[in-house]
Amino acid sequence: MKNRIKVLRAMHDLTQDALAQQLGVTRQTILAIEKGKYDPSLDLAFKIARYFNVSIEEVFAYAETP
Amino acid sequence: MSELTYISDPMKQNTFYILAGIIGLLEVGVFWISVRFLIPYLITIVFIVGVLLLYLAWRKIADRQVDERSVLINQKAGMATFMVFWVIFFATSLGGAVIGLGAPPLPHFPRPPDERPGGINESIKPFGDGPGIPNESIRPPDDGLIRLGHFGYLQLALLFVMFFLYVGFRIYYARKYGEWENDEEQD
Repeated sequence: MKNRIKVLRAMHDLTQDALAQQLGVTRQTILAIEKGKYDPSLDLAFKIARYFNVSIEEVFAYAETP
Repeated sequence: MSELTYISDPMKQNTFYILAGIIGLLEVGVFWISVRFLIPYLITIVFIVGVLLLYLAWRKIADRQVDERSVLINQKAGMATFMVFWVIFFATSLGGAVIGLGAPPLPHFPRPPDERPGGINESIKPFGDGPGIPNESIRPPDDGLIRLGHFGYLQLALLFVMFFLYVGFRIYYARKYGEWENDEEQD
């Protein structure tokens, strides 16, 4: 799954640590999501979208695996 | 006057590790006492109490960082360990069953204490060259119990295998879910 968290973070001038604290997860989790190593739960995905005040489709895009 | 810290107070993660180390050392000491005085129930009960204490202390960690990703890693590592472990456990149990089924069908009657070979009594002597324990206070177990005790070695070995399997799988899944990825914010 592709995501734009890094872009949204940069737009809001947020560090991974600050975003992680706001969402109640560890910094490694934000890092892993940004790198595409970990797909967040639906709950966390909605939290991220709501935090940036955008729709979930603007944060995450489903990419077909080859 | 410095304030005392109780186990019921919130504690830091490092304090928990220190407490775990202390409990571990105490368990080793109790194990030694159990062996010396041949009281198997002592270490059994103390071990369970120690684990319960650690669990209560673990719940009091204030800076514990658990989120959905770490839970997923723990679940995956636990399930993978279980899948491999039951194969190993089943295989060794089959080996044990072969020994059991191959034993003579006649019932085993333990010999009276005065006819036991010297080797059995040797096994209950305390460690080192210290004074012996009066034989009246300790009844040495019969052959069957000693063999059952040796089975404990196999069980402990299997538990160690399980532990190392879990650590290995934990590292594998942590890497898979980006535990040690390069991070520009740390540069």
